[in-house]
Amino acid sequence: MKISLNQLKTYVDIDVPVEELCDKMVMAGFEVESIDNLADTMKNVVAAKILKITPHENSDHLQICQMDIGESEPLQIVTGADNIFEGAIVPAALHNSLLPNGMEIKKGKLRGVESNGMLCSGEELCLKDYDYPGAEVYGILILKDDVAVGTDMRDVLGLDDYIIDFKITANRPDCNCVLGVAKEIGVVLKKEFHPPVPTYKTCGGDINDYVSVEVRNFDICPRYISRAVKNLRIKESPDWMKKALKASGMRPINNIVDITNFVMLETGQPMHAFDRRDLKDSKIIVRNAADGEKLTTLDEKEHTLSSSMLVIADADNPTGLAGIMGGLNSEIKEDTTELVFECAKFRRDSIRKTARALGVRTESSGRYERGIDINNTAFAMERALQLIDELDAGDIIDGVIDLNQGLPEDRIITTTVSDITALLGVDVPSDTVVEILNRLCLPTTLDGDKLTVTVPSIRDDIEGRADLAEEVMRIYGYDHIVGTTMRGAVTRGRKLDSRIKDDLIKATLSSAGCREITTYSFIASKAIDTLSLSENDERRTAIKLLNPLGDEYSTLRTQLATSMLTVLATNANRKNSEVRLFEISKRFVPKALPLTEQPLELGTLAIGAYGSEEDFFTMKGLVEQVLDTAGINYTFERSGEPYLHPGRQASALVEGQEIATFGEVHPTTAATYGIDCRCYLAEIKLDLLYSFDKEPIIYQPLPKFPAVLRDFALLCDISLPIGDMEKAIKSAAGKICEKVKLFDVYIGSQIPEGKKSVAFSVSLRSLEGTLSDEQIEAATKKIIKSLDSIGAQLR
Amino acid sequence: MKQQLEQIRATAQLAIENAKSVQEIEELRVKYLGKKGELTAILKQMGGLSAEERPVIGQLANEVRGSIEAAIAEQGEKMKKAALNEKLQKETLDITMPSKTTKQGGLHPINIVLNDLIDIFQSMGFDVVDGPEVETDYYNFEALNVPADHPARDMQDTFFLNENTILRSQTSAAQIRTMEQRKPPIKMVCPGRVFRADEVDATHSPVFHQMEGLVVDKGITMCDLKGVLEQFAKEIYGEDTKVKFRPSFFPFTEPSVEVDVSCSECGGKGCRVCKGSGWIEILGAGMVHPNVLRRCGIDPEVYSGFAFGIGIDRLAITRYKISDIRLLFENDVRFLEQF
Repeated sequence: MKISLNQLKTYVDIDVPVEELCDKMVMAGFEVESIDNLADTMKNVVAAKILKITPHENSDHLQICQMDIGESEPLQIVTGADNIFEGAIVPAALHNSLLPNGMEIKKGKLRGVESNGMLCSGEELCLKDYDYPGAEVYGILILKDDVAVGTDMRDVLGLDDYIIDFKITANRPDCNCVLGVAKEIGVVLKKEFHPPVPTYKTCGGDINDYVSVEVRNFDICPRYISRAVKNLRIKESPDWMKKALKASGMRPINNIVDITNFVMLETGQPMHAFDRRDLKDSKIIVRNAADGEKLTTLDEKEHTLSSSMLVIADADNPTGLAGIMGGLNSEIKEDTTELVFECAKFRRDSIRKTARALGVRTESSGRYERGIDINNTAFAMERALQLIDELDAGDIIDGVIDLNQGLPEDRIITTTVSDITALLGVDVPSDTVVEILNRLCLPTTLDGDKLTVTVPSIRDDIEGRADLAEEVMRIYGYDHIVGTTMRGAVTRGRKLDSRIKDDLIKATLSSAGCREITTYSFIASKAIDTLSLSENDERRTAIKLLNPLGDEYSTLRTQLATSMLTVLATNANRKNSEVRLFEISKRFVPKALPLTEQPLELGTLAIGAYGSEEDFFTMKGLVEQVLDTAGINYTFERSGEPYLHPGRQASALVEGQEIATFGEVHPTTAATYGIDCRCYLAEIKLDLLYSFDKEPIIYQPLPKFPAVLRDFALLCDISLPIGDMEKAIKSAAGKICEKVKLFDVYIGSQIPEGKKSVAFSVSLRSLEGTLSDEQIEAATKKIIKSLDSIGAQLR
Repeated sequence: MKQQLEQIRATAQLAIENAKSVQEIEELRVKYLGKKGELTAILKQMGGLSAEERPVIGQLANEVRGSIEAAIAEQGEKMKKAALNEKLQKETLDITMPSKTTKQGGLHPINIVLNDLIDIFQSMGFDVVDGPEVETDYYNFEALNVPADHPARDMQDTFFLNENTILRSQTSAAQIRTMEQRKPPIKMVCPGRVFRADEVDATHSPVFHQMEGLVVDKGITMCDLKGVLEQFAKEIYGEDTKVKFRPSFFPFTEPSVEVDVSCSECGGKGCRVCKGSGWIEILGAGMVHPNVLRRCGIDPEVYSGFAFGIGIDRLAITRYKISDIRLLFENDVRFLEQF
């Protein structure tokens, strides 16, 4: 909340520099967002008198002015404005001056004629008519005749204030006003706080002759106060009030509207004024709106209301949206003669819901949403009447209508000093505790160790000893808290199993040259279509966000492939040549849609790569490295993902369950992402991988007997899988087959069309003894026969 | 004969020393020591010597043979060494050529920072736990002392999946799940992704990372909180780092504080990084609110605790002086390879 320092000074004696004040407030829990010195916004602009005007020889619109700026010699300034005249007093920005709109003025030549500055318009000085009469006139601002020549314009405009923007935390709605902040300043600076004491004179009469009030929903409106004022004398507000309003970001309008706004800023209690003429049957009824009922608010917007919304109505129609904005039909006008003031308490959740539903947020609704004190309502009304009297804005009718169903009394909290200090770990002396709480207007007594604290309703946020501890500490000073080593049991910090396994995979992939990436968990709703999945593919069943930041981020991902493809595309478009990436994150699988419970969040690994070094087998190698970290057995099978190359993809299976899919990305899919080179993708279900137990490690004795190597050069159809041949060799040789190693595959000249030449090196070894020639011969024969049976002949 | 032997020794020695190749040495060996060699020829004449002379000459002849053999061996060794040296010389490589190893990959900067934090807190005895990213309103807000329509909900814009289910806006949700599952003493950190409906720009991302910390035990004080955070700050920012508490507000802690550390860039003197204040705000913390403890079945009259939440992305951004948070999620390898 932005507050004028000058206004604060009217309630509390501030005798420290503004920076020091702000530092102290920050350490008491009031963050300062900014300190604006109004005097800094304008420099070297003075009131100057036009002595003589002569036309400019080289221009038909420029004029040359000789200016008296209060010095011995006149100063020449060229201007383009035509509303000036000799003898006028105007603002002149001199050489090296600064204007509030950020413009810097230097002397120079205009069409060959020297100009030592610039004459300013109201707009150039960021002024409105309410700042200075005539400020919105098109042309140079003509100042009043009595302004002394040479006066700094900051003095003319009264720019001698600081505007401090305090960030008020949500637990301190009582400080959403000038008086609340002033009170805290008093506590922090140990100075007395002087809130206004409302007194005013009335003109007789009886409020009940002016208005009748009925509250139909005390649940949402627990208090409603009305007062009436007649013989309104509507005019401009005094300077001090306009300045205070502007400091807090509100536009002065007229004395009546300004009083309601000023009181809200000062006390935190929103107010409203109705034109009594417009209240049908002079009635105010606080009721729920009828479904579909319409109301046009002060900002000339029409709203269609629902029955959950509270309105202020006359005998027939709504005249205001309770706590949010008044109705256009009953606003205070230039010719309004009688008004009815409203000062009420509305429940914060109701105001919040209505304001959100209608998309209207005002200074008033903001304060109601954060909560106002029901006991402060009467004070605010009294203060408004005091200002009516002080500004001579009207005659106050006697009598008050104050509807409520009982007001809360002060609460008593009992605790002990030692309970408070135990939480803090700091021995704040008992009498200091008592003294601080009393300064905070929380009347406190001490009996031995026992504290009895009276909490008024305005400090709704204080519930118990933890809150009192905070109150004491923020005033006593957090610098008293000294770090200690925790007592208690020594514990061993453990990581979850899944995190340990993730870390192992990350280390493995990092060593294999992969870079980890991080992408958003949500993707575009159409992203899944880029994978060309079948209609009933479960990955199409995805959770949508109700309030996404646009469609691009609207859907929780059920796979990591699309995010990886996007990142590969980003890199490919930027001509990054060799790219190997991985990401470990969650895929979100709903148990039902619409959601009935939290979805499954399943750990998933994506690997993506492209570049001259990459092919299907490098990706296969990475997948193997990942699976090997789990210490399980797996097999590969051809797979059928539509977004992968039909002949260059596979899945890895563990106990019959598909745990990974990988391969070359289908050129059509790659093209959708704008990738024009071969790229490779793998997706591994880590949740599934981690569900298998690692095979226990049991030491095997090292072989004592020598191995025999036999090479087999074979000729077979191109389509015969190497894996099938390996299997054939292993099953034929039985348990003496130690290792089968592929060392050559050749397709080309000297080989018949449609055939390939394949060479294996097979290592045979027995654990029981040295293999005899007969054993080797027998095994070799079996191997050849077995290979032959699947169509691979010895060359 | 004696003279002849000495003569042979001298000439052989000279010839061997001057030999230029292994082959030449072999020839010399044959010439002097071979069956038809000069030494052998002289020995054959030994029969003509007297009985006194024979052992003397015999000994001398053996000596000469020994010294010639030694000279041959020595020269051979020299030659071998020279040959090897020559070979090695020829094999000299240009060591400035690129290596053949697989290029090393690495972790994302966020996870590098995160792993540092995990190490620090794990070594202080904190368990590292996980929590769901899709949360219910109850865990993310209500149990954290933020009832429906409480103004504190305006502090963050939340993504909704349905009325009751959201993407967690803070890792604080993990506090409740932990306290429901375990009895004190509790010491845990929960790192993870969080989500807020912030439009993407240089300093805002709808997805970012936090690490929640929670301690609940008997007799835990605010000084313990400061002690733990000082330890953490020293590990991350250096031994001389100071920690400052500023009063603040979070619904689920009371008292609540913002925690500043002395600026590691200027040592607290004030610079551009700390905007002249000498301090950098790094996290929010406080003593667990009694309402929160009570809701999890922990008696606030017996137990107390503290909680803190650290923004990991911001830590990474300040550590590496990253100018734009979007770089973290764009994943250009030229960016990633710098870490």
